[in-house]
Amino acid sequence: MKSTITLVLLVITSVMMRAQQSCETAVQAYSGLNNGIEMVAMNGPAPTNCMFLNGDEHFTWYYFIAPEDTGYVITSDLEMNVGLDTRIGVYSGECGSLTCVGFDDDSGAGYLSTVTITAEAGEVYFIVFDDYWGGAAVATPLMFDISEVEPQAPVGNVITFVTTPITGLTGSECIVDMNGDFLDDVVSTSGDQLTIFYQQEDGTFLNQTYNAGPVMNTPSWSIAAGDLDNNGYNDLLYGGGGGASFIWANEDGTGYHETHDDNYIFSQRTNMVDINNDGLLDGFVCHDIDANVFYINNGDGTMTHNQGGLGEWGGNYGSVWIDYDNDCDMDMFIAKCGSDNIDQLHRNNGDGTFTSVGAEAGIADPTQSWSSAWADYDNDGDMDVFIGASSMGSGGHKLYENNGDGTFTNITEGSGFDAQDGVNIENMPGDFNNDGWVDVLGAGSMFMINNGDMTFSPSICPFYLGPCGDLNNDGYLDFISGSTAYINNLEGNNYITINTVGTESNKNGIGARITVTSALGNQIRDVRSAEAFSPMQSLNAHFGLGTDTEIEVIRVCWPSGIEDVIYNPEINTALTIVEGSSPSKVEESAKTGFVVYPNPANDHIRIDSELGLNNSDVVIYDMTGKLVQSGKLNLLTYDVSELSRGMYVVAIQKNGETFRTTFSKQ
Amino acid sequence: MTTSALTRVLLLLATVIGVSVFVSCKKDEEPVEEKDPPIVEYTGVNVVASEFPFEKLSDYRFYTGEMKQLIPNERVLPYQPVTPLFSDYAHKSRFVWMPEGVSASYQSDHTVFDFPDGTVLIKNFFYDHVQPDDVRRILETRIIYKKNGEWLFADYLWNPEQTEAYYSLNGAYVPITWIDDNGNTRDVNFRIPAEAECHTCHKANQVNSPTGVKPQNLNFDYPFSDGSMNQLQKWIEVGYLENSLPESIVSVADWTDESLSVDLRLRSYLDANCSHCHSDDGHCYYRPLRLGFSQTADESNLGVCIAPQEYINETLTHVISRGNKDRSVMYYRLNTTDQQYRMPLFGRSLIHDEGVQLLEEYINSLSPGCPN
Repeated sequence: MKSTITLVLLVITSVMMRAQQSCETAVQAYSGLNNGIEMVAMNGPAPTNCMFLNGDEHFTWYYFIAPEDTGYVITSDLEMNVGLDTRIGVYSGECGSLTCVGFDDDSGAGYLSTVTITAEAGEVYFIVFDDYWGGAAVATPLMFDISEVEPQAPVGNVITFVTTPITGLTGSECIVDMNGDFLDDVVSTSGDQLTIFYQQEDGTFLNQTYNAGPVMNTPSWSIAAGDLDNNGYNDLLYGGGGGASFIWANEDGTGYHETHDDNYIFSQRTNMVDINNDGLLDGFVCHDIDANVFYINNGDGTMTHNQGGLGEWGGNYGSVWIDYDNDCDMDMFIAKCGSDNIDQLHRNNGDGTFTSVGAEAGIADPTQSWSSAWADYDNDGDMDVFIGASSMGSGGHKLYENNGDGTFTNITEGSGFDAQDGVNIENMPGDFNNDGWVDVLGAGSMFMINNGDMTFSPSICPFYLGPCGDLNNDGYLDFISGSTAYINNLEGNNYITINTVGTESNKNGIGARITVTSALGNQIRDVRSAEAFSPMQSLNAHFGLGTDTEIEVIRVCWPSGIEDVIYNPEINTALTIVEGSSPSKVEESAKTGFVVYPNPANDHIRIDSELGLNNSDVVIYDMTGKLVQSGKLNLLTYDVSELSRGMYVVAIQKNGETFRTTFSKQ
Repeated sequence: MTTSALTRVLLLLATVIGVSVFVSCKKDEEPVEEKDPPIVEYTGVNVVASEFPFEKLSDYRFYTGEMKQLIPNERVLPYQPVTPLFSDYAHKSRFVWMPEGVSASYQSDHTVFDFPDGTVLIKNFFYDHVQPDDVRRILETRIIYKKNGEWLFADYLWNPEQTEAYYSLNGAYVPITWIDDNGNTRDVNFRIPAEAECHTCHKANQVNSPTGVKPQNLNFDYPFSDGSMNQLQKWIEVGYLENSLPESIVSVADWTDESLSVDLRLRSYLDANCSHCHSDDGHCYYRPLRLGFSQTADESNLGVCIAPQEYINETLTHVISRGNKDRSVMYYRLNTTDQQYRMPLFGRSLIHDEGVQLLEEYINSLSPGCPN
């Protein structure tokens, strides 16, 4: 039994009602020993934010009016309960809008529970018992005790969620847009089958099941997504225990088929990234017990197996492709564990070759880690890294600051991560409260809230890390864990979501570096597929803006080298940026070198240029990046009469160079 | 004819010619003997360091007669760890062979013998009552061979005709339907390992090593063709082991022997199935479990009341939760075929029902409750 100071044992209340199945019918509890009732099987409304839920819980509700401004211990850890199995969640607020203030499962003896809260005098606290974990209803009346303790600094519950059922969902490791509308969808896989829950404008989901089989390798270890054939519909990469499989969407996303080869891979993290920068995404697969594997995309629906050169034998667990040296190409970091636990950083030399630079960069870290979380945590313009420990045997959690010169400094001490002793295999970055400072979900499944000064404060995460994206299109990041959707219910901070559409680069713009400049400074993101250890996260770049009400400028540096600049975009919405649609000034003078007129155009556009572009190839994209027309310039004129009204990108190719600008069709 | 076999014939010819030339030199001026010299065909085991691995299993001459009968050739000695590794219910037969004049030496009860160069360990995997013909089907023969102080792997995949097995370390799957020892028809997509898989279990500090040939596992009788005998004594008798064993050897138990304690049986089972990775120098060294028999007298090494470091679901609170299998990660991992959760990582795609049953008995034998 845990040592708790039992103050008042005087009031023993016998609770007789059996209606305490919900918040509204909660029964009052008092300081001292409470003689509870038999728990009965029921499925009342589930409390959220405190507990892991799986839909089979039975709750018993009490309320407690705190007599004093002090701490209270609420515990089932009593001698008469030995052998029982309980969970306790404690909430403040009113029925319908409860806030979790404490939760415990097993910190008492056996499977008994003890929660400590900091209370305000006169405030009502709801105490909810769950009997699920014993596998059956607790048969005997459950006694519990409430006693005063010195108030303690609370562990926050800053990131809060409501759980929303998605009809038919049994589980998912993948949130990504699958039908080209930039609304995040939920992908659920089972053997040969693939069920996509398509997010609708109204926040509901419509699901469709496809048979992609026979599927040789299921995504038992990881899943990644991206548009391998640039057809506007994302494809998938499954990391299985014996090899990797690619799942390809057909031309309109209404069917899927699988390809694989017979190479053995003990897959770990998988990623999609354009390794050779040819405009086609390639597949990368971490190999636990051999050199890493990468599949180069042939552009014809086939992928060519390669092994070696991107991390050699053993212990390759958590690869993530990031741009650590701000040269607009993707480098790779591998969080390593086991056979060879020294983390590696592979610098992209920009010519299709990579150099292992972890040691000279100062992040050849020995912590036993399965994943890392890369973000610019101090908003100083370069990517820092949190490396989460999966075991404390070779060092704990680490936070490294990017020095901006290709090296990193270990700043773990005092960062808040050093105080976390939980371990886990999943770690990922995200601005979960939209305050403009990227947080971490990790360090033993905690939200680590960025305080803006390279320190982080823990906040309870009510679920185990699953795939992450925006499931209700409100600009706040949501999750799926198990079969439950956890919808972030924070609001108030401003945001922008950026959807990148490559034209010369890969269609998803994976590898693009986005910089958002607002009053709070510069924020950067790499468009990545994928992060953490197993799941796939949204490919939409998500920026919190805090209280900033405008963005001065957004810059996108694409893998092709093209740079786009957008001034004063609308905020609190999603912005789609097509590669080359808003060329930077440097680009316009140096590379565009031509003018399209009339603009707006009616039936034809004419090109005024000294570049000798006659008879060159012309490609026209709409603002979603979809190729809508192509042909040749004839006497510097091109027929656009078939186009509907709107803005378009015109790209003219000559001698391997592409010149592009935008025009408007009336 | 394979290249290596051709090479051997040429070598043999060269030897014959060399001898002939030598003879002709002695007998000056006489014409070279045209008649075939009398060649005594050597029929013993044929292991050639410079030619390892052969293309075909038959090249080694480990067996006499029809190869699929697996009748050991001279000096090829069968052995059997008392508690074997579970391999999807495949049956196994194991043999050891050493060159003349060398022998292994004892290191400790729970350490693989210090084997001499040239040692070969042979392990055949087969199923009986394979359908539809209800026959024995040998799938593979794994070989570990010690050369210049290093252990090398080879694997031979048997043809469907069961007349030959061919070298490959690329891995393969073989779908099998068979009738098991209880009369039930079962299916398995049997995994033949790739080299990286061999290495993952057969390594100690990243160096290849055998796993089962330890005094603690072989200190038991085996029904040899000339009578039942303690295997360690047999090894000494045939010269495969130096006669320097200690008075007594702390040995594992036969996990199926219900007259023994559940604790002893489970610890023996975990040693055979899990300890290669869950050891100080194994693949999973960074996790807290230590499942070698010599270490599991300490309950914490077995994971009893130890919190797991990998999340599976919130009901699994300990590696082994005393008295509660549904809270125990080890039970969950042994009782699933899900790739990302199942243990062992390799060598199993089916659930070993009898092993899971033993683990359940062990968990239930522990007084309930883990202190916090």
